[in-house]
Amino acid sequence: MKSVTHSMPEGHVRRSGAGRRLLSAYRTEIAIALAIIVIELAVGMIVPAALSGGNISNVTQAAAPLVIMAFGVLLVIITGGIDLSVGSVFSLTGMVTGLAMAHGYGGIASSMAGLSVGILIGALNGALVTFVGLAPFVVTLSTYAIAGSLSFIVTDGHSLPISNPDYWLLNSGTLIPGLPNYALWCVLLLVAIEFSLRKVVAGRWLYAIGSSSSSARVIGIPVNRVRLAAYLLSGLFASFASIVSVSYISNAEATAGSSLMLQAIAAVVIGGASLFGGTGSAIGALLGALMITIIQNGANLIGVNSFWQGTVTGVVILIAVLVDRVTKARR
Amino acid sequence: MTEQRYLLTARSIVKSFGPTSVLKGFDLSIAAGEVHAFLGGNGAGKSTLIKIISGQFERDGGTLEFDGAALGASVGGHVAAGTIAVVNQELALLPHLSVAENIAMPRLRRGTARYSERASMDIAIEALSLIDPHFARESAGRLVGDLTLHERQLVEIARALGSGAKLLLLDEPTANLTAAETTRLFAVIRRLIADTGLAVLFVSHRMREIRQIADVCTIIRDGKTAVDRAALDAITDREIVECMGQSVVVDEAAASVAESAEWGRADLATQHGGSDGAGAQATHVTHRGALRIERDGVTIEVPAGAIVGLAGAPVGPSSLIDALTGIAPAGAWAITRDGARASYSHPCTGARDGVGFVSGDRSNKGILATLPIVDNLVAAARVVNRRNVVGRAEIEQSTQLLEALKIRAGSLWDLPATLSGGTQQKLLIARWLLLRPKLLVLEEPTRGVDIRTKREIYALIRKMAQQGTTIVWWSTEYIELVELCDTVLAFDLDGKPTEVLRHADVNETQLAAATGMAA
Repeated sequence: MKSVTHSMPEGHVRRSGAGRRLLSAYRTEIAIALAIIVIELAVGMIVPAALSGGNISNVTQAAAPLVIMAFGVLLVIITGGIDLSVGSVFSLTGMVTGLAMAHGYGGIASSMAGLSVGILIGALNGALVTFVGLAPFVVTLSTYAIAGSLSFIVTDGHSLPISNPDYWLLNSGTLIPGLPNYALWCVLLLVAIEFSLRKVVAGRWLYAIGSSSSSARVIGIPVNRVRLAAYLLSGLFASFASIVSVSYISNAEATAGSSLMLQAIAAVVIGGASLFGGTGSAIGALLGALMITIIQNGANLIGVNSFWQGTVTGVVILIAVLVDRVTKARR
Repeated sequence: MTEQRYLLTARSIVKSFGPTSVLKGFDLSIAAGEVHAFLGGNGAGKSTLIKIISGQFERDGGTLEFDGAALGASVGGHVAAGTIAVVNQELALLPHLSVAENIAMPRLRRGTARYSERASMDIAIEALSLIDPHFARESAGRLVGDLTLHERQLVEIARALGSGAKLLLLDEPTANLTAAETTRLFAVIRRLIADTGLAVLFVSHRMREIRQIADVCTIIRDGKTAVDRAALDAITDREIVECMGQSVVVDEAAASVAESAEWGRADLATQHGGSDGAGAQATHVTHRGALRIERDGVTIEVPAGAIVGLAGAPVGPSSLIDALTGIAPAGAWAITRDGARASYSHPCTGARDGVGFVSGDRSNKGILATLPIVDNLVAAARVVNRRNVVGRAEIEQSTQLLEALKIRAGSLWDLPATLSGGTQQKLLIARWLLLRPKLLVLEEPTRGVDIRTKREIYALIRKMAQQGTTIVWWSTEYIELVELCDTVLAFDLDGKPTEVLRHADVNETQLAAATGMAA
């Protein structure tokens, strides 16, 4: 009898506690979502065209590759690592895909060739970081340089046309009516990654390693394998982002990814991840990427000198991180 | 059947770190169903062996047999498989994750399996309830990063106890526990042994605890087995201490302390001689101050050179320590020295005003792990004297200090990690010896330290007090406070100061009554 009277209120407390935990767990994400709406509305007041359906679908289409890339970078950052090679992987993937097409391969075969770039470089990054024990910054800085220069070498710096009808699947075609495929991929990846991070043991291992890799090792977590997987996925996602991108730009260029690496890291950080590891979410990374794209789009529409756009983005990153810091400290 | 079968047999284990050879052919056998005390001085190799058994270190030589099968040289597998659980001195927790997840994590072996917060919660509450049901309900959802050191220790122990392992390796698990928690821990260990027949390897420096819980002991000395599986009923404390190689160290320690103090005075004279006139005179002038501490109507006032003990559950002493050193605002505490307010906005201001502090959290708030020993020794002096370059004087001072305190180090440029835990502790106190502060605040300076080093530290503290440094010392071992303190400030379980006990009244029963914690 005693246990019955005890368990009732306790169960109640726990449930409401879980709700509040969920709300507080996604606090950063909710704040960013609100900020995005505010920014978009503000831009819309100056340039009404910003809120048109056409512009919004432009923004999402432009954001899709960054979102996908940010997902990969997120996995590495949660473990406390960093992947600087993603921008170059993005460029090289486009070039390899274009080259394969120029040699007469079909869309699927060429894309596979492109994806193998990310898998190879990701695996190389992961192996050097885990088994050789080199610092992630140094390893990925090197592969960034190598892949970046290879993307010029493969065509001697020329850009390559990409035209393949199969690419409706990756881009503006619709498998689900009303939802263009590029957005569909982002949503599918978002759900898959967020679920894995929260509800699958391997996802929790990523956080554990980022929180303290030495503790994770003592506990018996396969630290090396998990970190290797994170770098491999980061490379793979960067390649996938590139294929999504070239499918609508219809052109592969050696410099395509050069600005994306910092944007992807910024997106992850805006989304609440710490570069020291142990925190971060896929929803946050997606919102961070959207925010960066919206700011650039808004600045373009308003007619801000393109030289100033870096300053605007930089200030926004600082504000986002400071707000996050202040609210966390107050808690 | 003539030879008893052991759960774990270690034979001729060899391990060195660089040129320092730690284990030199060590043997150990543990039988199922026993609590096996593992004894030895600081730096004798206890922690190293535990890390080899649990697969955190690779061994250089020797064989390990566990549960009838050989363990490879580079393992970790048995911890992963849940058959061996370990509580290291450095806790292996994940600060960004919840208590529940920290406890459940070692049981989640398949990466592709579903993770359930609810299931983790249940596992954690069950495990934590073994030690403290109230703490279990209250803490399971909190982040480990928000817990105090003491609470983290409970989490770490609960994780090992609840893991279902056949062998528990406990490296000073009671170091951060209250007496009541230690008693409960022992009760749980006995129950688990009765129920599951597991074996426990137990490291502690507290003789009374060892006698309470352990059946047999193995003593390690200089990396070799000095005593192999002696029944604790058949060996006296004195014999144990002798086997650890620490019987005749008291006088020696006192002598070395006297030397170091002599040298410290000479150093001060040369340092401040220019500005303060004759150095010897200056030292007398600086140590006039009487310390007065007041809160909630409880007042304690002592002359310079007194040793003040703090007793009670961690919350009370740590609030006073924070106020004294400037780690946190003084709050309800009113602290004066020589009648002038002596509370600070920052530990740096405190240090420059003559307040030294040795934290109980050695690895996070004491040792600068990536800097060589010399930088660790002069760290406080640099802050106080606003010096930023390693000078030749610093190197000379450090060399003398190491010699005077008999700290065995390969070189001044080695990292502190090459020293044992107890030696690191001496190094942290030595850091302030250079400066001869007016007030030295110590948080459990003898925790996890062997008997010999303990005595050295006692002598060191007495000597500093004689030279006019007021000591404020928090200890959970009441016997220390009884032996060394002139005055003891007792706190209740909520952290409120309750009573000031003068030397004549200070005994363990008094302290237990005043603090609500059994000694």
